[in-house]
Amino acid sequence: MKLERRSIVWLAAIVVAVNGFFPAVWILLTSLKTETELIMSPITYLPTAPTLANYQIAFTAQPILRFMWNSLVVAGLSTALCVFVSALAAYALTRLRMPHRNLVMSLLLAVAMFPLISLMVPLFKVMRELGLLNTYPALILPYAVLSLPVCTLVMASFFQDIPPDLEAAAMVDGCSRVGALFRVVIPLSAPGVFTAAILAFVNAWDEFLLALTMMNRVSMRTLSVGITLYQGEFAFPWPLISAALIIAIVPICIIIAVFQERVVGGLTSGGVKG
Amino acid sequence: MSDAPISTGKDLSERALAAVLLAPAALLLLVIVVYPIATLFFSSLHTVDNANPAAGEQWAGLANYTRAFDDDRFWHSLGQTVLYIVVTVPGALIVGLGLALLANQPFRVKWPVRLGLLLPWALPLVFAGLIFRWFFEYQTGIVNDVVVRLGGEPLQWLSSPTLATAAVCIAIVWKSSSFMALMLLAGLQSIPRSLYEAAEVDGATAWQQFVEITLPMLRPAIFVALIFRTITAIQTFDIPYAMTGGGPGEATETLAMYIQKTTLDFLDFGYGSALAALMFVLSMVVTSGYLRYTRRGPSRPT
Repeated sequence: MKLERRSIVWLAAIVVAVNGFFPAVWILLTSLKTETELIMSPITYLPTAPTLANYQIAFTAQPILRFMWNSLVVAGLSTALCVFVSALAAYALTRLRMPHRNLVMSLLLAVAMFPLISLMVPLFKVMRELGLLNTYPALILPYAVLSLPVCTLVMASFFQDIPPDLEAAAMVDGCSRVGALFRVVIPLSAPGVFTAAILAFVNAWDEFLLALTMMNRVSMRTLSVGITLYQGEFAFPWPLISAALIIAIVPICIIIAVFQERVVGGLTSGGVKG
Repeated sequence: MSDAPISTGKDLSERALAAVLLAPAALLLLVIVVYPIATLFFSSLHTVDNANPAAGEQWAGLANYTRAFDDDRFWHSLGQTVLYIVVTVPGALIVGLGLALLANQPFRVKWPVRLGLLLPWALPLVFAGLIFRWFFEYQTGIVNDVVVRLGGEPLQWLSSPTLATAAVCIAIVWKSSSFMALMLLAGLQSIPRSLYEAAEVDGATAWQQFVEITLPMLRPAIFVALIFRTITAIQTFDIPYAMTGGGPGEATETLAMYIQKTTLDFLDFGYGSALAALMFVLSMVVTSGYLRYTRRGPSRPT
């Protein structure tokens, strides 16, 4: 009975892990194969003669490091902007007496439900008129807005848990209200701020539609769009594409591996509290 | 503390401070969301002659909308979008619930399961689309390899409209179910153990416990997860874009893909704006329907 229970637990862990990891493992294996091995029939599972040549080509066939740098700049700066703006908003919504609080909250949530494609068409025109196409702000600004609702909600839920007395004490000591926000509330809710930042970063890193629309110069492509440039019009060099994919998912894997508990907490806190 | 005048003065300054702190967010929303959406409706009533772009936007009335009404490709892409919603929302819920129940076991080492749920969530949608395209390749894909090993004939996954649609649905369900699972898992973990212990004392089977305790207690979490999934399903773009490019022909094309093509490839901003406006209205209808239900739904005692 005891043994049976243990094996069920093991089986459950294996199913969940295989479901999550299999695609990544499969492209890792593919990236080590040669084109000749690829067309063998029946297909091989493990590479017969593992090679790193595809990685070498991945770095030279397309400016993948440039793509990665673009993604880093866009995701990093939009995250900073988003966290700053949402921290101020979350503070106003949780700590200050203000009229129409619920209305403001609902408006914020409504924005989160806007279809991006409807925004894409006019935003493209706005950015074109401002001469911002193929510049970082064309993505930084929309990405900051994209994550604004979720970041505000996550931080608001953390701000709520900080005792108002601490803030009052800081203000007695001569801190202004805004000073108390930056010296007391934000440092004390660092985990919340951090969680919000990770969510905003991953959202920006993964976004495709706007990145495809706003940046049509190869040197300005972000990683998610740049990856699609490895395919020919009719040919899909899978070992090469796989190598590029592996390079591209390394940063995101590091983030979720290091901050896994934070990320899970942040993802679910917004959801459960609704 | 007790004197009222000071507290109203404080109220006023608090209101002013709240306004100042909300201003940056409001400004961003105004520039990036409100103004573009307003111009969207304006553009949808105009047309630009691509042969003579200097003439600028010409008033077109409702011509762009009536054109959509007669456009088979619009109706097909709309139908395809609805199909993806109808298949992948329940599909992701069922798979996600399964994953959540599996992940809710008492593991001693937690990271393989946690990362197993996080990786599909963190993987960009386009990457998932590309990887699944590779899975479904006719000659070299692993799906057909499994089909053949099981004694079947290899299938033309990506060149048959029906199979391509199925393949896209499978990819979407895989990609979105783990986020569902994470949300449902949080719901599962908030169910008090004592409920199950009491049920066990009363001799309830595992299935009875699932139906009588787990599902009802999970209702709010399921509801939130469904809203999220539906809203994203309406906008389906990345996965079919990477997997099939909308093909074969336009068989797997979604409304979002058609809008993107109309505007950026055909440079038909008037028509593209009209389609985008229709999509905007459509998703607002769905969202407000959900919100109306939320206001009654979960707060209603069960």
